[in-house]
Amino acid sequence: MKSQPKLLTLLTVLSVILFIGALAMVFLYAPLEAVMNYVQKIFYFHIANAWVGMLGFIVAATAGVIYLVKKDLKWDIVEMAAVEISLVFFFIAIITGSIWAKPSWGTFWTWDARLTTAAILEMIYLAYLLLRKGIEDPERRARFSAVYTLIGAISVPVSFLSIRIWQTIHPAVIGGGTSGAQGSFGMTPAMLMTMFFCLATFSVIFVALLWYRIRLGRLAEQVDQLKYQFMQ
Amino acid sequence: MPTSKRPSFDYLKAIGAIVWKDLASEMRSRELLSAMLVFALLVILIFNFAIELQPTLRTTITPGVLWVTFAFAGTLGLNRSMAIEKDRGCLDGLLLAPVDRSAIYFGKALGNLAFMLIIAMIVLPIYSLLYNINILIPGLLLVVLLGSIGYVAVGTLLSSMAVQTRTREVLLPVLLFPVIVPVLLAAVKASSGFLQNLPMNEIWPWLNILIAYDVIFTAVAFIVFDYVIEE
Amino acid sequence: MISYAISIKYMLAGYAIIFIVLGTYIVSLFIRWQRFKRDLETIRNLEKEIPAQ
Repeated sequence: MKSQPKLLTLLTVLSVILFIGALAMVFLYAPLEAVMNYVQKIFYFHIANAWVGMLGFIVAATAGVIYLVKKDLKWDIVEMAAVEISLVFFFIAIITGSIWAKPSWGTFWTWDARLTTAAILEMIYLAYLLLRKGIEDPERRARFSAVYTLIGAISVPVSFLSIRIWQTIHPAVIGGGTSGAQGSFGMTPAMLMTMFFCLATFSVIFVALLWYRIRLGRLAEQVDQLKYQFMQ
Repeated sequence: MPTSKRPSFDYLKAIGAIVWKDLASEMRSRELLSAMLVFALLVILIFNFAIELQPTLRTTITPGVLWVTFAFAGTLGLNRSMAIEKDRGCLDGLLLAPVDRSAIYFGKALGNLAFMLIIAMIVLPIYSLLYNINILIPGLLLVVLLGSIGYVAVGTLLSSMAVQTRTREVLLPVLLFPVIVPVLLAAVKASSGFLQNLPMNEIWPWLNILIAYDVIFTAVAFIVFDYVIEE
Repeated sequence: MISYAISIKYMLAGYAIIFIVLGTYIVSLFIRWQRFKRDLETIRNLEKEIPAQ
């Protein structure tokens, strides 16, 4: 396996710096929000993680389609890496969303469109991983994974819209908060800047982690191939 | 290479052959239908104890109960339908046939749809009797049809994949349910609307979602089925 | 307006989760990488010991 490329090392260093910077902005720069004060500060990282989770999903779906067209297994590795990382980031987003929801709306969970769709997406990721676990042949695994990613990618927006329509007819009753109240506090320019900085930070972290995960995937593939050859 | 004057006719014939094969063999053995039926009835029975189906709540709870039942019984049907192909080696035979692979998809999907509808036709009257509520209204039947189409469109594709994995039957619900949410949601809301006699303009959004889902996913599954069934 | 005490508790819980989950994932990447590297070593060693037929 080639040694770590300089660009990746650079990216990693950048990620760490940005991460520390983001923390600094959240805790030292962003003002305290009027109603929710400290707990609101979760919002910045929550949104960033959700954004990156969605980004990862788009990367995965795209890689899947490219694989189906080109049949090059390296795209399967990209797809797998993107799904795994998205899984982690989206998980963080859901949990932080719940933690924010409890003091804000009195409940850890509401069945509003965004949260429910996030849960569905997370389940699709897990199903994806289970699907891969059940197939040994790398080529078939890649094909099936790509197909499932495609099906998932199309169904998620449809789910979101359906739940949204359902929600407007039945506004979120639990907690009594206005439905989809995330981010419904007024954001000062300082808050906006902090949010965008966090978005940028996590985007960079996403790229770095994706790269690492892809490298891991290639190493795994290499080991598998050698094992196979050796067994002959 | 013999030129076929009406290639589309051969395609339809292939689909028909597959559907006929499934239905005929099922009529003889009835293993699929009996399993699905018993399962569906059991689920409805259990629901009686799980949820107090008081008369006042019946119109609101019924759609949910029905669709959960169909979703789970449907999984049984999808699984068995594909497993039979694989186990009996029919799949390889079908693949050797000189017909477009998507014909296999439509054939299996239509067969699965037929089974789901047969089950629904038995379950709905029984439910009506057991819970003293008339659910055999045209609107609801339409919803059952549209919902089943969407369910089967995606389910046939995913069960083709699941049957080729190690985990097989267990995997299908895991793969299917997150993706089928719009169908369940819209079907329940539309059924509910018809049962409560809501005005059509309130029911239309749900019917539209069902129709859109059916069209989109049948198209996608049709395009993508080739990738799932290469051997 | 919720009390500062409660608010800070939730905020810390939230950030703790972020650090823990992200940290665990990065560590898992590292562990898996090491494992594969070791496998690679093992296979390479075995290949040397057993001459290719």
